[in-house]
Amino acid sequence: MANELNIRCIMNKDALPVTGAEQAVYALVDIKAGGKKAFGAMPANFGLVLDRSGSMDGEKMNNLKEAVGYVVDHLGDGDLVSVTIFDDQVETLIPNQPAKNREAIKAALAKVIPRGGTQISDGLRAGLAEVKKGHSPERVNRVLLLTDGQTWDDEDACLRLAEEAGKQGVAITSIGIGEEWNEKLLLQIAEKSLGNSHWIQNPIAILDAFRQEVEGMQSVAASNLKVTARMSQGVKPVRVFSTIPMISDVSRKAVRGVNVIADLGTLDGKKGQAVLIEATAPAQKAGKFRLGQVEITYDVPSQNIRGQSIKTDMFVTFTADAAVAAKVNAEVMNLVEKVSAFKLQTRALSEAEAGNIAAATQKLQAAATVLLNLGEDDLAKAAEREILTLKKTGTLSAAGTKKLEYGTRKLTQALTDQETGIRHAEADAGVDGSDEIRYYA
Amino acid sequence: MKCKECDMENIDGALFCEECGAKLDMMEPLQDTAVETGSGSQLVLTSRDGSKLDIPAKDEVVIGRDDPVSEVFPDLDLTDLGGMDSGVSRKHAIIHRTGAEYTIEDLESTNGTYVNKKRIQPHVPQAIKAGDELRFGKLALAVQAA
Repeated sequence: MANELNIRCIMNKDALPVTGAEQAVYALVDIKAGGKKAFGAMPANFGLVLDRSGSMDGEKMNNLKEAVGYVVDHLGDGDLVSVTIFDDQVETLIPNQPAKNREAIKAALAKVIPRGGTQISDGLRAGLAEVKKGHSPERVNRVLLLTDGQTWDDEDACLRLAEEAGKQGVAITSIGIGEEWNEKLLLQIAEKSLGNSHWIQNPIAILDAFRQEVEGMQSVAASNLKVTARMSQGVKPVRVFSTIPMISDVSRKAVRGVNVIADLGTLDGKKGQAVLIEATAPAQKAGKFRLGQVEITYDVPSQNIRGQSIKTDMFVTFTADAAVAAKVNAEVMNLVEKVSAFKLQTRALSEAEAGNIAAATQKLQAAATVLLNLGEDDLAKAAEREILTLKKTGTLSAAGTKKLEYGTRKLTQALTDQETGIRHAEADAGVDGSDEIRYYA
Repeated sequence: MKCKECDMENIDGALFCEECGAKLDMMEPLQDTAVETGSGSQLVLTSRDGSKLDIPAKDEVVIGRDDPVSEVFPDLDLTDLGGMDSGVSRKHAIIHRTGAEYTIEDLESTNGTYVNKKRIQPHVPQAIKAGDELRFGKLALAVQAA
């Protein structure tokens, strides 16, 4: 039987030098949908949790209504949808129901008038309750949370809800509009629930983000995806990062003694998933060495497949030949470099938050250098601008922080997938008639 | 293993310094030697992992990525180096060779051609030599003497 999923386990080096000491190794576990027909068959159970606070008035609300219209038009008749709106009060505008009631849903939404403050946890709780009504392992159960404001002292409640949602297989995609919201909270909500997060600067991009969300749900190839790595004696996992749809440090949950167990939620059949494991290998004599075994388990409910497992071994060869041991795998190297930029950015931001200006500046400078090496000029410039802001004001700018937080997490996205600051080039195709995606300089 | 940039001690085999992000434990990807002048001088392009791409011995070498659908087959195909995801156009740039002199010209690529991190104007050839860094979209290659 052909596997629904394919797994590749690639080491940073096929051959490690014999050094007589412990050394670092990196394993990239890459998971892709196998056959073309393996995905797209899961119906959705989609809960929209939308901020209608006073600050959403005008362009933001108009674009939001249009985007929700797009969602209901593009969900199938068998999909479920609910719409919860919140300010400092909550209203279940559309209780969980089949998406085929399109006109009624749009009409209800048209009446929404922005007002009040922002209390995210109440909205999220009510929205998750709606999704729970239609919850089924056969469906892609997902919540989209959109806000433009700081929530009122209920961050911990939001995170508890996100954690709980993740355990129940409900991923939350969190979207922040403008600059006056807490990116740390929205990123954590996404990470805890195994979801995604986006920053939208211009309300006109709301539609695009919603479109991506619908397409993402319709491309789900497998659910309950889990990576387990069982290490051989002496091999120690150090850190684990999931990398798609964004780089996320999952070490705290995933490193369990000598093993790695990472829950990854659903697999987007078009984008796949990849996990980077940083480990240390013990001193070895020349020869082939088995670092451990990687197993992925998953469900494909539409084909009645549950707990399917694929295993592969991680091998390296220890060699005394320095030239052989110097060869590095380009794909792994590139990913490790992106993760390195992410780590530096994360440390820079936490140093800045703690008021350690000198340390934050140094980390930002280091991040800028790595970003330049990666060809990410725009992000490198943002890091350099923040160094100046930090020197002048002692803090980072709201926009700069968001740009770095989101930009470094999404370094793993192909140019063709990046959702902000890009557009299709059809309108002004170059001489080669290229159809690739263009990003703004 | 000590980082040459910041003196931080890193575990053997680490690819990048935990403290400053500098590259560790690598072959030297860039060679600073100037290109030898005179006939027969050859340049190669080296990717960041060390793999080499010979520049074919022609006066004009088109760089881009193969696309069988639109039947575009540049002389130097960057597909295997991740050209698609890095935003390399099908016909991205052209390297002109006159004797021992090389220039690069951007062919109005979507995501630009860069020489030493500066974006070059389309259709304005710019001289290149060993030691330079070229970038096609987000794909960086070092120029080296063959």
